[in-house]
Amino acid sequence: MTAAGESYQLNIDGFTRAVVGAGLGDSLLTVLRDTLGVTSVKDACEQGRCGACSVLLDGRLAASCTVLAADADGARVVTVAGLGAVGLARAVRAMFLAEGAVQCGFCTPGFVVAVTDLLTRRPDADDEEIREALAGNICRCTGYGRILAAIRAVQRERGMLPARREPPTHPVGG
Amino acid sequence: MTVAGGAASRMFRPRGVGEAVEMLAVARESGDVVALLSGGTDLVPALRSGERVADAVVALRRVLELRVRGAGADSLTIGAGVTYTDLVGWSLAPGLARAARVVGSAQIRNTGTVGGALGSARPAGDLLTYLTAADAEVLTASPRGLRRRPLERFLADPLAADSLITAVRLARPGGPQVYVKIGGRQAAYPAIVSCALVVDRVRHRVACAIGGVGHLPARMGGAESYAVGEVDWTTGTIPAPAVRRFGDLVVEAVAGIGPALPVRPGESADYRWHAAGVLAGRALARCLHPRTDRDGAS
Ligand SMILES: Cc1cc2nc3c(=O)[nH]c(=O)nc-3n(C[C@H](O)[C@H](O)[C@H](O)COP(=O)(O)OP(=O)(O)OC[C@H]3O[C@@H](n4cnc5c(N)ncnc54)[C@H](O)[C@@H]3O)c2cc1C
Ligand code: FES
Ligand code: FES
Repeated sequence: MTAAGESYQLNIDGFTRAVVGAGLGDSLLTVLRDTLGVTSVKDACEQGRCGACSVLLDGRLAASCTVLAADADGARVVTVAGLGAVGLARAVRAMFLAEGAVQCGFCTPGFVVAVTDLLTRRPDADDEEIREALAGNICRCTGYGRILAAIRAVQRERGMLPARREPPTHPVGG
Repeated sequence: MTVAGGAASRMFRPRGVGEAVEMLAVARESGDVVALLSGGTDLVPALRSGERVADAVVALRRVLELRVRGAGADSLTIGAGVTYTDLVGWSLAPGLARAARVVGSAQIRNTGTVGGALGSARPAGDLLTYLTAADAEVLTASPRGLRRRPLERFLADPLAADSLITAVRLARPGGPQVYVKIGGRQAAYPAIVSCALVVDRVRHRVACAIGGVGHLPARMGGAESYAVGEVDWTTGTIPAPAVRRFGDLVVEAVAGIGPALPVRPGESADYRWHAAGVLAGRALARCLHPRTDRDGAS
C-alpha cells in the first residue's frame, strides 16, 4: 500500500524518478508537469479527449490525464523526449517542421508520440488508417492537412510505402 | 497548472483477485470511500473534476489474471482487465471485436477495460450494448466467494461495495453479428445511439439491443420475435419489407422507454428514436440478406 505523503517511483524516458509530495489522486499528467517538470506533456482537456498529454505507457499510446500517477509505478512511461534522437521519431519531428504541421505547437508533442507509435506498428498506414489512429489527438490550428502531409512525407522518406501506392508528392492540405 | 486530483490518501495495488478482495475489505474497514481503478479513463477524470471522491483506491492494473481472455467449447470468457485494443482483432468474437473497434480513440481503446465499462454502465456504452444483445453473464468476486449472474440482473442491483467484477462470459457466436453506432464526432466521443444485432443460426434466434435511448441499453423483445418468424433459416435471408417493419417496431419500442435521457443539441428524443430504427434496420440487413419477391421466387 502507498499512503498519502509517501514517495514512489516512476520510470520516465528510461530514468527512474522519485515522486515526492504528490497527491495519490493526481494523474500522471499532473505529476509529470507539476512534480517532475516534464512540460512537453501538455495539459488541455484533462478528460482524455484531446491527446495533448499523450505518452506511451508500457509501449501503448495513452492519455496521461486518464492514468493515476501512483498506479504507473513499475510501468515504463515514454514522452516525446524519450522517443529517441535518431530514427523514426527524429524523422517525424523534422517533417512536422518541414511540412508546416506545427503552428502554435501545443498539440505537437502529443501528435509526435501518437504518429511515432502508429508508424512503428503500421509503417504503410493509408490516409483512412492515419486519420482514424489520430482521432484522439486534436489540433485547433492546422486543420490536419499539413499533419497528414508530414506523415506521408515520413513514409516516403523512409521507404515505408510499397512503390505502387506512393501518394502524390504534394497532397492537398489545409 | 493542472488541477490536482481527489484527495485519495491510500493506494492499494494487489497482484491477484484474492488479494484484491482482501485489500478492498481492509480499505473499507475504516469507513473510507473506496474506488476500484482499472484503466482509469472514466475514474481519473471524474476524481479530478470532483464528480467522484475517494479516500482510497484499489488499483487492478497489476492483477494479471484479470487480463486474460479465453475460449471454451461453448463460451468465451473475457477478464475484467482486458482492454478494447486486446479485443479488436479477436476472430472468435467478431461482434465484440467490432464494438471494441469503434470505442473512443486509440488512447482510450488502449487503456479502457471491460471491467470499467461494466462499472461505469453508460447508457450508450458500446461494450455494454453489445453484451446486452449477447446475453452475457457477469462474474464477480467478494469475501463470500465467486458469483455469476446474467448481465441484466447485474445491472439491476448495484455491485456490493466489497465485490469486484472479474470477467464476463458469453456464448460463442452462432451466426452473423453486427455493431453500429452514431456519435457526435467520428471518434473520441461516446455514441449517441447504438445497435448491436446478434443472430444465432443454430438456435434460430435474433437478439437486438439499442443503446442511448434509456439509462441502460435495452433489448427489443417484440422486434426480435417478429424477425425470428420472418427469417428463412435455411438460407439466412429475410424479406426486404420485414427489415423495414423491424426498424418500425424498434422505433415503437424505444419511444416507450422511460425516463427519457437529457436532451442535448442535436440529440432530441425524436432524433434518437428515428436513429435507433435506422440503425436496427441496417444491422438486420447486414446480418440477414434482404430478399425481394423476385429473389424469393427464383
Ligand atoms: C474521451 C473518451 C471517449 C470515450 N469513448 C467511448 C466510446 O466511444 N464508447 C464507449 O463505450 N465508452 C467510451 N468511453 C468510456 C470509457 O472508456 C469506458 O467506460 C471504459 O471502458 C472504462 O474502463 P476503464 O478501465 O478506463 O475504467 P475506470 O475508469 O478504471 O473505471 C470505471 C468505473 O468502473 C469501476 N470499475 C473498474 N473496474 C472494476 C471492476 N473490476 N469491478 C468493479 N468495478 C470496476 C470503477 O470503480 C469506476 O467506477 C470514453 C471515455 C473517454 C474519456
Ligand atoms: S489533456 Fe489529456 S487528453 Fe486532453
Ligand atoms: S498547432 Fe496549434 S493546436 Fe495544433
